[in-house]
Amino acid sequence: MSLIEIEKHEVEEERHEPVRIRGFPFFPHFLLREVVVMCLIAGSLILMASLYPAGLLKPADPFDTPTPIYPEWYFLYVFGFLKFWTWDIGPIEAKVIGVTLPMVLWYGLLFMVPFIDRNPSSDIRKRKFAVAMGVIALLGILYFTYYSIVYH
Amino acid sequence: MKLEDKIFKWFDDRFKLKELLTPIIKHPAPEYAVTNPLYCLGGIAFLCFLILVGTGVFLAMYYKPTPLEAYKSVEHIMTAVPMGSLIRSLHHWAANTMIAAVMLHMMRIYFMGAYKKPRELNWVVGVTLLLITTTFGFSGYLLPWDQLAFWATKIGTGIAGSIPILGQYISLILVGGTDIGAETMTRFFAIHVMILPITIAILLLMHFAMVRIQGISGRL
Ligand code: HEM
Repeated sequence: MSLIEIEKHEVEEERHEPVRIRGFPFFPHFLLREVVVMCLIAGSLILMASLYPAGLLKPADPFDTPTPIYPEWYFLYVFGFLKFWTWDIGPIEAKVIGVTLPMVLWYGLLFMVPFIDRNPSSDIRKRKFAVAMGVIALLGILYFTYYSIVYH
Repeated sequence: MKLEDKIFKWFDDRFKLKELLTPIIKHPAPEYAVTNPLYCLGGIAFLCFLILVGTGVFLAMYYKPTPLEAYKSVEHIMTAVPMGSLIRSLHHWAANTMIAAVMLHMMRIYFMGAYKKPRELNWVVGVTLLLITTTFGFSGYLLPWDQLAFWATKIGTGIAGSIPILGQYISLILVGGTDIGAETMTRFFAIHVMILPITIAILLLMHFAMVRIQGISGRL
């Protein structure tokens, strides 16, 4: 019981903390910053598009498999994981696990994040578990992306 | 009275513009959100989306979604259409930048804990937006009908097809037959230029409405 009491107090304290937020009016301050950033981004995009135009390889040929085939960079981690996971679990084939884990399970977990993480604090020092999980997930994605390129 | 004031007054008399616009214009943006560039990422994703719509409409005027003509029409865009190469490359770069921006935006939300009560549902809408954005990329990848497009889609649909239970249906709906061909191409085209744009527009409206109603979350 006492543990719950303590937690309640903490939450209450947080809620009663006087929140004084200094703000700028949306117009012109916020919009001005937004316009400046957007011009920079749009400019960079035009620059990159002119320097590195989108490619076009040979026409598709269903009878000639090219090597290597890469998917878009943001799917590489799925590819990598599929290569990495070679173990059947009971009746479940390795391939099925290799696909389900990085797609179905991963997105399922992502959807559930606000309902899994019930810690009310948004102070990063009080969210060690959530931050650790985030860093692990990030490193995992990076590792499997790397894996998919190296062990192609 | 200056001309622009007169024009404004004409509309104001009829549509009560001042009443409508003042809360939008005066709505305070917290200082930490104005000074911290991490808060730009959602807006950058949205800018990329707008650029994609603009360049995409242009491309759709020249592109022909059949296996016989797709490659030739893209080649035509790249070599003969005025500014065609620039517009297609812009579409390409904006697409990749949008995905990167959405991912980084999600990381900001995650590490700042901005998904907590009362913003849980905006996170759920957000993950759906991420799914839609990557599906946009996947469906667009096939359209030029070059070697990379064909074989990456073959492998991609193969991977989606081996998801338990759902996989066979996903693969059947996407491919529209046993192999990547004309059916697949028109399906991917419809998904890329009709289904996904409508879906993302609705979800973006919900996303922005929620940000507006709930305000930007507090500091770290
Ligand atoms: C098409 C993609 C997306 C666009 C255009 C977009 C746009 C925006 C914009 C403009 C904001 C205002 C604050 C900011 O920019 O940081 C915002 C806030 C937010 N976004 Fe997104 N977003 C997208 C995807 C996502 C994703 C993938 C997630 C998470 C899974 C997400 C979750 C949120 C949440 C929870 C907020 C409220 C943040 C706060 O109050 O601090 N969004 N979004």
